[in-house]
Amino acid sequence: MTHTLHRQGTVKSLARNYTVLAIPARGFNSQGSGAKLQTIKEIFFKHNPVNFGDIKRGNMYNPGRDYVIADTEDGTVVHAVYRDEKTLVEVLRDLKEADTGISIVVSGLFDRVNESCRNAGLTRHTIEYSLGVHGARKLLPEKPILEISTMCGHGMVSFNLIRRLVREIENGRRTAEEAGQELARQCLCGVFNPQRAAEILSQLA
Amino acid sequence: MLIDESKCIGCGNCLDYCPMNAIALDGDVAKIDQAECVECSVCLRAQCCPTDAFYRPPLSYPRTLAWFFSDPASTHPSTEIPGRGTEEMKTNEITGRFPPGYAGIAIELGRPGIGTRFREVEKVARAMAEFGVEFEAQNPVTALMTDPKTGALPSEIHDLKVLSAIVEFAVELPLVPRILERLQELAPAIKTVFSVDLAVRCREDGSSPVEGMSLPFSLSLNGKTNVGLGRPRHN
Repeated sequence: MTHTLHRQGTVKSLARNYTVLAIPARGFNSQGSGAKLQTIKEIFFKHNPVNFGDIKRGNMYNPGRDYVIADTEDGTVVHAVYRDEKTLVEVLRDLKEADTGISIVVSGLFDRVNESCRNAGLTRHTIEYSLGVHGARKLLPEKPILEISTMCGHGMVSFNLIRRLVREIENGRRTAEEAGQELARQCLCGVFNPQRAAEILSQLA
Repeated sequence: MLIDESKCIGCGNCLDYCPMNAIALDGDVAKIDQAECVECSVCLRAQCCPTDAFYRPPLSYPRTLAWFFSDPASTHPSTEIPGRGTEEMKTNEITGRFPPGYAGIAIELGRPGIGTRFREVEKVARAMAEFGVEFEAQNPVTALMTDPKTGALPSEIHDLKVLSAIVEFAVELPLVPRILERLQELAPAIKTVFSVDLAVRCREDGSSPVEGMSLPFSLSLNGKTNVGLGRPRHN
């Protein structure tokens, strides 16, 4: 379940993309975790994420924020996406203070996440690197398509849908922001950043 | 997944939503190529069909595996975790899965966005088994192995397509370069793409034990950071 790893893009673009997730540990603190995960969801929501979600309930664009926040099951995984380090530090401080005992993982540029951890009074425990994509790379689409699609690590955002939305922006049928949100609807967990997608789509159209 | 032909109006709106490009118009109705469909449910959840023509019939083995490995809303019975993977480094401060001096390696076949047959998954698993690795017990690919010592998978699932599947294990840090070299050597024989990741426990000061290590693949500038808030803490 490396669904927030392997994101591609320029440093400038990735610097505006921080995904925070909360996950209980099965056999340790999963039983009864629903209420703690609900507290975490409320912290996430308080800091105005550009997306947030619950793997068992969907994301804020599908079926919508009210449904996602209304209830939280034991053992689920909850996520939120932020655009800047200042907000990330505030979220981490609140999570530290809430002290739920649920594991928290941040995806983003390592140096900036590390600095944000320090500013929140935390020391990183474990890190996970991407070592790239290998094998039949000729099957892959062009780079900007990958920069968008890899924001959903479960592969729910199809290459063809991205291409179609580029055409729709060119034809004036959708704005880049609307297209970014349509792509975010497909990513069940809510880890897709629709604003970053809109920026890349604008460059493509 | 199937399309109810009596409901389909042949508008073609669904075609681009399918991550596996498995839907095509056949005359005036859309049809799903069952050999390419991975049961990811994107078409259902997208609400892209104006007549609600998509439906999933009851699935039986091995088709159920496609669903478990492709739809993150499904929970695999062998892991009880939503999605196709495991907790890996995300709960490491609690589980101690990757202690100091060890690395977690995951090789995800089919990612990004291409999909994989289990035949390709087995090629990688067999190559990694040559190192005597112990595959992650909670990973659903491990649960399928007929022999975890060799990485063999049941022959009846070799042609089954899934969105992705992860071969996962932990090794001592000094073995990491050799494992990656073997993967590099194997890459031309793999008929799909695969993404590789490396998880390590940080030192007490938060620094990385693999920065500066000579590896055949470059370490990414971005990735995942477990910030150590989970409790009870593994000793």
